[in-house]
Amino acid sequence: MDKVKVEELKIQLQQLLNEAQEFFRKIPPPQLYAAIGVVLFTVLLFLIIRLFKRRSSNTILLTGLSGSGKTVLFYQLRDGSSHQGTVTSMEPNEGTFVLHSETSKKGKMKPVHIVDVPGHSRLRAKLDKFLSQAAGIVFVVDAVEFLPNVRAASEYLYDILTKASVVKKKIPLLILCNKVDKVTAHTKDFIRRQLEKEIDKLRASRTSLSSADITNEYSLGVPGEAFAFSQCQNKVTVAEASGLTNDISQLEQFIREYVKA
Amino acid sequence: MLEQLLIFTRGGLILWTCKELGNALRGSPIDTLIRSCLLEERSGAASYNYDAPGAAYTLKWTFHNELGLVFVAVYQRILHLLYVDDLLSMVKQEFSEIYDPKRILYNDFDDIFQQLKKEAEARAEEMKKSKQVGKPVNDNLGRKQGQVQSGSRDGGNKKKGGDDSGKDGGDGNKFKGRTLENGNVNNNHVGKGDAPSKVNINGKEKGASDTRAFDVNKLQKLRSKGGKETKTVVDKGSKEEPKKKITKKNRVWDDKPSESKLDFTDPVSENGEQNISVVATDQGDSMMDKEEIISSDSETEEDEGKGNKVDTGKKGWFSSMFQSIAGKANLDKSDLEPALKALKDRLMTKNVAEEIAEKLCESVAASLDGKRLASFTRISSTVQAAMEEALVRILTPRRSIDILRDVHTAKEQGKPYVVVFVGVNGVGKSTNLAKVAYWLLQHKINVMMAACDTFRSGAVEQLRTHARRLQIPIFEKGYEKDPAIVAKEAIQEASRNGSDVVLVDTAGRMQDNEPLMRALSKLIYVNNPDLVLFVGEALVGNDAVDQLSKFNQKLGDLSPSANPRLIDGILLTKFDTIDDKVGAALSMVYISGAPVMFVGCGQSYTDLKKLNVKSIVKTLLK
Repeated sequence: MDKVKVEELKIQLQQLLNEAQEFFRKIPPPQLYAAIGVVLFTVLLFLIIRLFKRRSSNTILLTGLSGSGKTVLFYQLRDGSSHQGTVTSMEPNEGTFVLHSETSKKGKMKPVHIVDVPGHSRLRAKLDKFLSQAAGIVFVVDAVEFLPNVRAASEYLYDILTKASVVKKKIPLLILCNKVDKVTAHTKDFIRRQLEKEIDKLRASRTSLSSADITNEYSLGVPGEAFAFSQCQNKVTVAEASGLTNDISQLEQFIREYVKA
Repeated sequence: MLEQLLIFTRGGLILWTCKELGNALRGSPIDTLIRSCLLEERSGAASYNYDAPGAAYTLKWTFHNELGLVFVAVYQRILHLLYVDDLLSMVKQEFSEIYDPKRILYNDFDDIFQQLKKEAEARAEEMKKSKQVGKPVNDNLGRKQGQVQSGSRDGGNKKKGGDDSGKDGGDGNKFKGRTLENGNVNNNHVGKGDAPSKVNINGKEKGASDTRAFDVNKLQKLRSKGGKETKTVVDKGSKEEPKKKITKKNRVWDDKPSESKLDFTDPVSENGEQNISVVATDQGDSMMDKEEIISSDSETEEDEGKGNKVDTGKKGWFSSMFQSIAGKANLDKSDLEPALKALKDRLMTKNVAEEIAEKLCESVAASLDGKRLASFTRISSTVQAAMEEALVRILTPRRSIDILRDVHTAKEQGKPYVVVFVGVNGVGKSTNLAKVAYWLLQHKINVMMAACDTFRSGAVEQLRTHARRLQIPIFEKGYEKDPAIVAKEAIQEASRNGSDVVLVDTAGRMQDNEPLMRALSKLIYVNNPDLVLFVGEALVGNDAVDQLSKFNQKLGDLSPSANPRLIDGILLTKFDTIDDKVGAALSMVYISGAPVMFVGCGQSYTDLKKLNVKSIVKTLLK
């Protein structure tokens, strides 16, 4: 029984194929070529548009050491308050939204995709996933507890600055000194100079590791000169903010600069 | 009585805390819990103890993996609250019903929580009551107490001001009998507005029940502790006898008469090799001919794993295919079990210690429990992905392992960077010390060796040969000297002659050998090195867990200082002898928390490399 049915199906398919072939032959050649040309053209158009869209992505990454205040800043940007407080993040916080301070403005504002990556050293691997789509990186530094953590912070910053995706795409980086509402917070110039000094030392020790598997793909700065952020291929700026008191205007400026409304 | 109960997302936002239990927590127990326990893949453990100045808390937690929520309860460690687990699971259930990813405030949960707490406490009391049925003396007073108790509790339930009675059953302490349901009497939490008469009655009851009630468990623990202590005292007695004399005598291993001369090095000539061959025969019978007293139990390959092959057979395949397409609603432990068991066996065939594999699987199960399966994925692939992530997390170092950076920092401060190599016998300390010296020399750092292995014949010559080949200074004082003093003098010499790094070689010792561990801890305490490197061989099996945990424990216990130095890093040796059974690395890192800083993979100077986390994880899960 089955064999008969299969045979019948086969015959039907054959008939359909023949009919299709005759149909195609009936169409005059120019029309056929024109039809194929249109199809190919639209396909190409879509691909090009997709490429362009990817260039202007709207993702901003919030990174930094654990405890620097990234999750608080994320919720400030989104809701205008940090609610009941935060604890050490175990997973990234993502959200696409219009910045809270701009919800009152008139006109259509383009939503921003903000990702808060956990700063704990064991979770560093999660950063790489988001780096490829980032339009801008915010490196949050705790301005109060800066000196005890300066080494860890500069190592993390050095790792980010030497990643291939950051250097090639010239992703702009903002070093945000958080918790400036506290009295003992350091100034942003001090922080910038300290970071430059530490990264300078790191350059010397990291590039000399030849036997190990190298994770830093590019080297920073000009050899022989002291390192300064102005030597980086991507733009690096420094700003201040305070997560708890919602003083984040400089951060929002940076975001709006690179994610066009 | 609970100190605090928190609900937060895995991304870090606190969704709800109990406003009533408003006591501010001292220190930062939640952050410490996350950093040292949940992110270290120990989330399968039952509870976590946290100590801060002025408070000792115990934390218990549960996850809701589907929604990405964490529920944590904090209470004082001296209380043994029985209802916490129960309460956490009920809270989890209730909260997941009202949870909405968009919502941030959950004030309505306060009332629900109060109710749940009372229910949980009541249930715990019921359990306690049924346990303590046969206590004749307490009966009369207990009955009265019970009546008063229930009266107040009913009143509390009806009224809104349930605060006081809400805290009644808080104390689940096993010692006290049923009379102490009024938790307010216990420790420092004075009950609000309780009638003084109740307090008095309870005080008396407490006295009575104390003398009577005892915990069988505690008795057993005491018994075993007593046994252990006597054993160590006996050991110490036999081994320490000779050391009590003022002049330093030879270390006596096992009651045989001590040799007259141990130090055969000719101080004049560099060619010590010739002299050794002359005096070799005078040492008497070698240990090979005597009975073996100490047998080391390391290097036993895992053969249990092969025995427990689970058949994820035909039935499993079909249903897993169906489930993969349909995307089953929620995973629970029974679904995860076969996949986890298979993974555990695979890990054990790669030479991961059994205990570690077990704990890891529990932690992965805790993180997947209740999660929704995405469609077109099988359970085994979800489990594998979760395990891979967990392994990468464990093997990624918690802090930077850039030694060159540390050396430069120490150089700027003007003092030498001291590294001490510790480990059991025969793992390759001296060989790898030479390799590390070679590597440092290539980076233009001045290295000095310190020969603090003053026990094993040939140890000093071995280092001297290496030093000659590498052309670096070596500090030695021969044999039979106190290693701690030798190390101290070596460091002073290094700061005098401008060496940047001092590499200290110590004698190999078994982790159970108390006097030797004490000597090691003294060496570390006196010299305060910058890096304590534990040298372990990759061939070791289950013993890795024992070695590392005992080393850390002894270094912590036997050190006279308040902040003892523990093992800071691991050097994994003989990596070229194992082809893909790389599990020892995982066991060592998991049990100690220290990162693997170097991997020795051969016997020449250049055979030293860094641990490649991704390739190890791939090999482990192949």
